[in-house]
Amino acid sequence: MVAHPRAPARSHRLRPLREPRPIAVEADGEGRPAAVTLSGRRLRVLQVQDTWRIDDEWWRERPVSRVYYEVALEDGRTPIVYRNLVTDGWFKQAY
Amino acid sequence: MRTACVFIPHFAIAVELLDRPDGRPDGRGRPAVIGGGQGRGKAVLDCSPEAEAQGVRRGMPLRQALALCPKAVFLDPDPARYQDAFEAVLRALEGISPLVEAAELGRAYVGVDGLDGLHRDEMALGDALVQACLPDRQAVRLAHGQGRPAGSLLPSVGLGEGKFVAWAAAVTSAPGEACVVPAGRETAFLSPLDVSLLPCSPDTLRRLELLGLRTIGDLAALPLGAVQAQFGPEGRRLWELAHGLDREPLRPRRHEESASERLTFPEPTVSTGALLTAGRQLLSRLFRRPALRGRAVRQMRLRAALSDGRSWERTVTFREATADRDQMLYVLRCTLEAALPSRPVEEVELTLSGLTGETGKQEGLFAEKGRRLAQLEEALRQLKARFGQSPVYHIVEVEPWSRIPERRLALIDYDP
Repeated sequence: MVAHPRAPARSHRLRPLREPRPIAVEADGEGRPAAVTLSGRRLRVLQVQDTWRIDDEWWRERPVSRVYYEVALEDGRTPIVYRNLVTDGWFKQAY
Repeated sequence: MRTACVFIPHFAIAVELLDRPDGRPDGRGRPAVIGGGQGRGKAVLDCSPEAEAQGVRRGMPLRQALALCPKAVFLDPDPARYQDAFEAVLRALEGISPLVEAAELGRAYVGVDGLDGLHRDEMALGDALVQACLPDRQAVRLAHGQGRPAGSLLPSVGLGEGKFVAWAAAVTSAPGEACVVPAGRETAFLSPLDVSLLPCSPDTLRRLELLGLRTIGDLAALPLGAVQAQFGPEGRRLWELAHGLDREPLRPRRHEESASERLTFPEPTVSTGALLTAGRQLLSRLFRRPALRGRAVRQMRLRAALSDGRSWERTVTFREATADRDQMLYVLRCTLEAALPSRPVEEVELTLSGLTGETGKQEGLFAEKGRRLAQLEEALRQLKARFGQSPVYHIVEVEPWSRIPERRLALIDYDP
């Protein structure tokens, strides 16, 4: 296992931007988002506008494996959500 | 440095019980909890030992405290009154030594080096510190062996080398008594005491207990290297404290010049207009004083005595020292509109502090950009002084090439 190389000396002063936030997503039979809960409101996904996958840092202790979806919701918003394939959770993230 | 710690546990509760003749919140010996109040969140500020015995702790949500101790009397906090009472204690201690540090409400440290010529021995000095904290009547009663007066600010006093040893001695001595730790006997004194007395985080305390270290002596018996390897710099500090080595210096409080005026209303009022008129009157009285002529102030405190006997207080710190009364009144109006006292006001007191000699500011002809930067940095320094850390950040690129969004950018403290 390769140790994480990012500088630890100042890491306590760095606050990552665009950190993913857990979100409740209902997936359809193919695992694509069908409904998203935002601010306590369940919103149907009208269309998946884009999708892409990121696999990275597979050599580390906590690899990154995500499938991103840019979705159009019934209230007009188009958030980006992803499914973490390692922990099987859904997150919302500004890309 | 020989230091004394004067410790009055549950200070806020003790102040609340001062006026009650039987020293009980309701005459029936029910536990008491102080918390909540206007604009102060719903957390426990202090609680009586009876409530503490039932699991109530400081900082705990009031709802949880109510569940743990349903028979308790819940009191609204009156911080201004607690502060006044503690100020009186500090002034009394300053009558014994000029070096007095206010650590927190109910806990003060006193530098006692060089006082041995004035007192028979350190025990006598400790007794003098206990007596100093009591009003005359109670002190006489205590001196005649009539026991602890009901509703009193009876301190425990500890004397030792450094603040930690003094505090540990104060905590272990009974109310109204002094405990002296002779020089060179610190390790032996601390050895049987519980590790929870050490000033460490809850996580460190839990780890100490998991390692089977129950007393301070258990920790002191370990080699420094082993403790440091397990707990890092905090471990080193704890190990040193366990040996009675406290490097933290005494920080005596400084006396700042201030000026106060007060005004009593003919009838209790709840009107913002009446309070502002009173504020205008008080400001004009204050600025008529010779001591404030040609001077500016950095801080303004408005305190109101409410009709139910409690008090209300707000303190405003100006971005720059000012002598502009209109600006002060504007700030006062904003403060009152944000949080008007919950009960009718009987009396208001305005205090101006942080007096400076500057009343104007010289603008430069050319160096506008540099000046603005300097002003920005000054503003940030003030924010840092107010909040403890700078609430302003830079955005920096960390791994701008990364495919993982949260790795690309980060916030870093803007520290001028």
